[in-house]
Amino acid sequence: MRSWQRFRQSYFFYSFKRDPVALGSFSIFFFLFMVSIFAPLVAPYNTYDTSTYDIMDAELPPSWMDDGEERFLLGTDIQGRDLYSTMIYGLRTSVFIGVGAVLFQAILGIIVGLTAGYLGGRVDSTLMRIADIQFSIPYLIVAIIASAIFQLAFGVGRFEELALPLLIVIIGLSEWPKYARTVRASVLGEKNKEYVEAARVIGLNRRLIMFRHILPNTMTPVLVISTIQVAQAIMSEAALSFLGLGMPVTKPSLGSLIKAGFEYVFSGSWWITFFPGILLVTFTLVIILFGDWLRDVLNPKLYKG
Amino acid sequence: MFAFIVRRIIQAIFVMVIIAGIGFTVQNKLGDPVRDMVGERVSVAEREALRDKLGLNDPFLTQFGRFVRNAVHGDLGISYFHNKPTVDVILSKAPATLELVFGSTVMILVLCFPIGIYTAIKPKTWFSRFVMGSSTIGVAVPVFLTAITLIYIFGVELKWLPSYGRGETVDIWGWDTGLLTADGLLHLILPSISLSSIMLPLYIRLIRSEMMEVLETEYIKFAWAKGLRRYRVWLVHAFKNTLLPVVTVFGVEIGILFAFTLLTETVFQWQGMGFMFLEAVERSDTALLVAYLVVVGVMFVVINTLVDIAYGFINPMVRITGAK
Amino acid sequence: MKKIILLCLAAGLVFSGTAIAKGKTLRLALDADPKTLDIHEQLSAGMLQFSHIVFDPLVRWTLDMSFEPRLARRWERIDDKTMRFYLRKGVSFHSGNPFTAKDIVFSVNRLKKSVDFKGLFELFEEPVIIDDHTVDIKTSKPYPLLLNMATYIFPVDSVFYTGKDNKGKAKDNIVKVGYSFAKSTLPSGTGPYRCTYREHGVKMLFERNSDYWDKKSPGNVDKIVLSPIKEEATRVAALLSGDVDVISPVPPQDFKRIERDRKVNLFTVTGTRIITVQMNQKRSKPLRNPLVRQAIVHAVNNDGIVKRLMKGTATLAGQMSPEGYLGHDETLKPRYDLEKAKQLMKQAGYEKGFTANMIAPNNRYVNDEKIAEAFVSMLSKIKIKINLKTMPKAQYWDEFDRQPADFQLIGWHSDTEDSGNFYEYLAMCPDRKTGLGQYNSGNYCNQEVDKLTLESMVETDMQVRAAKLKKIERILYDEAAFIPFHWQNFAYGARKGINVEPILNIMNFPYFGDLVMK
Repeated sequence: MRSWQRFRQSYFFYSFKRDPVALGSFSIFFFLFMVSIFAPLVAPYNTYDTSTYDIMDAELPPSWMDDGEERFLLGTDIQGRDLYSTMIYGLRTSVFIGVGAVLFQAILGIIVGLTAGYLGGRVDSTLMRIADIQFSIPYLIVAIIASAIFQLAFGVGRFEELALPLLIVIIGLSEWPKYARTVRASVLGEKNKEYVEAARVIGLNRRLIMFRHILPNTMTPVLVISTIQVAQAIMSEAALSFLGLGMPVTKPSLGSLIKAGFEYVFSGSWWITFFPGILLVTFTLVIILFGDWLRDVLNPKLYKG
Repeated sequence: MFAFIVRRIIQAIFVMVIIAGIGFTVQNKLGDPVRDMVGERVSVAEREALRDKLGLNDPFLTQFGRFVRNAVHGDLGISYFHNKPTVDVILSKAPATLELVFGSTVMILVLCFPIGIYTAIKPKTWFSRFVMGSSTIGVAVPVFLTAITLIYIFGVELKWLPSYGRGETVDIWGWDTGLLTADGLLHLILPSISLSSIMLPLYIRLIRSEMMEVLETEYIKFAWAKGLRRYRVWLVHAFKNTLLPVVTVFGVEIGILFAFTLLTETVFQWQGMGFMFLEAVERSDTALLVAYLVVVGVMFVVINTLVDIAYGFINPMVRITGAK
Repeated sequence: MKKIILLCLAAGLVFSGTAIAKGKTLRLALDADPKTLDIHEQLSAGMLQFSHIVFDPLVRWTLDMSFEPRLARRWERIDDKTMRFYLRKGVSFHSGNPFTAKDIVFSVNRLKKSVDFKGLFELFEEPVIIDDHTVDIKTSKPYPLLLNMATYIFPVDSVFYTGKDNKGKAKDNIVKVGYSFAKSTLPSGTGPYRCTYREHGVKMLFERNSDYWDKKSPGNVDKIVLSPIKEEATRVAALLSGDVDVISPVPPQDFKRIERDRKVNLFTVTGTRIITVQMNQKRSKPLRNPLVRQAIVHAVNNDGIVKRLMKGTATLAGQMSPEGYLGHDETLKPRYDLEKAKQLMKQAGYEKGFTANMIAPNNRYVNDEKIAEAFVSMLSKIKIKINLKTMPKAQYWDEFDRQPADFQLIGWHSDTEDSGNFYEYLAMCPDRKTGLGQYNSGNYCNQEVDKLTLESMVETDMQVRAAKLKKIERILYDEAAFIPFHWQNFAYGARKGINVEPILNIMNFPYFGDLVMK
């Protein structure tokens, strides 16, 4: 409880309370996050289960419109899925992929950055060169190539179960250099401080110094870029799904819903694109707003790029 | 400097070999290009004969060796779909992509400076608030959603602007350009806006914050004290100093702009390199695919090298990476 | 406006059909442009559409499925292996060379050399010239479908395509990858249009052939600009915004919108391509049980798919042969009945269902991916859980052959417009050597079906043949050999003033030469 007390009295919490944007964006984010985690409880239908919907309900408009039905608040998509439920499940997928991909890239990036920064020398230059090369090719292209490769390598049989973890790895792989560079930069700053010297003098081994002593002090910038990276990863997934390289058709994410709706945008079934689009934009927007605020408050020396 | 460039060239070769290697490893799994060449009724034996003739049945190393040998001579194979050397295909599609990037760059540059400066000078007006609000939203809207919305509003409902393709183009010394015809320029508008929408908000914010920072500095205060006219202070003294960071960031971000042409070109059926790449994936045109990856890899290494060199010139305090 | 109509009328009277009304340009947007300029290089719908613009066939299909004479004025059977064709006189190619019987010999020989066409022309022998405008086309065995095949013979300019080009290569080479004279030279045909410009994947231009032999053709279009627009929504948007005049295919989801719009019209033609799903009996044990297959056929609400996904513009199917084909049996109705399906599953001992997987293409047939998705949802109602993977067609056919899935979707159009072709490729026991049953990934195998199909291939008595074909269709139905969905329609969207209807036919080879534009 003491740490909670300390947190409540901190500058961080103080400015959070005083900033309506931070407060608002965080509440919306938290609300949507909870909705997605508890999707099975919140959504009226489990639309990822193919036996729950029927083609005869296809393309019904939202319930307040002429042909709308009470059962389907925001209408249905082309397969007859309840759009409202599908969006919740799609959001859940987006959250899983966003958070999962960021965890993956953070772990990879932190290990590389820490090793490179602390050991220096040839290890450093080799690792950072690899990061540079990958960083120089825009992440979308890396993700597209990786996605094409992975899809083929794993064959067709178990694609449905593998799609989610694969997307996490693909999006994670394409963005790790950002973490590696950030962590390396702060490790270089920390490395020569007294406490590290002290730890070295008392004979602690390298791994212990790296992970127990230096790492915690590099976490602030990691936290800051992480929020933006989650938004980034969600948008990457949407882009991949839009290009048809994302989630399988039976488990649509927000990106695949938008893509499916794009085909229907001229036929008058605007809701298939509109609602998922709004949800996707809202979700990434609140994350970005909160991330901006976080950066301003913590104001670490960030690597820009 | 010389050592630096040599190192970068070695790096570029290294990147190419790796990319080509990856491309080659997956190409057999990307589908059979022969299937797209022949009609659906052609027998298995006939297809096998064709595969043999194309050398697709050779062992991996033989194929890869042949590819590398030819690549050294600048020959990256023949596209199965276009029936032309892959390099020619890529070069013939390059103008479209470059013009799209150019169009949106112009749009970004034309808009970001006045808006950025205005919002820095007059941060409290409703226009500034509106711009800042919408620029935040702009970052959160995926480019394909922007593109769909634009097509729907301006192409379908209002019918003001064409919604697909490049329109009329003219050939100038082998460069197929849409910039010189009215039709071509009209076709460029919506795709350029879509593509610029990912970068424009970032630049407006960047210029705004740089400008605000500069306005706080001593020498601007001194300029005020001297009694210089407002516009002179803003546009000459302050603005000049926001340029450096903008230029550097731009060098890096142009690569990202290029990557997003993939999405923009898909939605607008813009016949550029990104469109060609996704079509090649779909058609299993593996030769074109590998060539594209190699060309793009080289392009990015070149862009980054140029940016690094330029950065070194502009700001001598920065050591060039890798040059110890 | 009046003036233009008058001008058209005057032109029509004086020059009887040769397009004079200047500036009539048709801007046409299709999903893809012709893959090559060599019409013998690839057998595909796109290439045949192109052939009908720049070339003429000996005979062609009319909308009611009878034959219309084109370059052949008339024909007669000499014996059961020979058909004599009397050719039109005074016809010349775009190059100026006159069209004679020699061109027929040249073209048939070239077709027999083409990888894509040689299968269809296997039974054909070298045609025999009787005189300059009479030729005998012979087959090695009695062949009931000879006239059907004559719709594939588009005579090419034998003088133009003979000899060596400036690279020292023979001009009549057919090359799939890389250079050949025929594929990189603007072609010389007898058709209503000359091809004057081509940038592959971007644009193609056609100009009216002022010396066209068919003076009765009402066509008045001077110039055709063909641009491929792959993305469906973009193609529709281009039509609605007036960027193009005619588009095809039109995705079903946009039918309503096009019908509502007062500036454009929608045209649909009943097609003959059957969409089916095959159940692999080799891979999956439950699918070997006819009761399970029956249950699945009963669980598939293909009526719902036609109504919802296809917006009512496909023909609901219970068998392979569409109406008008010899094998078509009216009593074979679609069988959707969910209760019965559940019962059958129980009877078969699979009350608890089973899991399976499925592959389907996502850019080959109209709404193919969505059909597969709906199919998965329908089968989950009888507790069959399906893992679905969709992919572009370039990857699909390879996978299809490898048969990694229990359910595989395939659509089939009979090249000969005859039922026998369906059974030969989709229902006969797969045999690598003979190539029979080449696309039967369900591995359905029934000796009687095989026997009947082989007999029907050489049976020239149409009544006996029809009886045999009908019998096969019945067996396939009773054993639930495959899952029928529907016959796909073709759809064209055109701006007001362009009536596409008279030039359409069930093969989807629009005769643009006869198009009238206001």
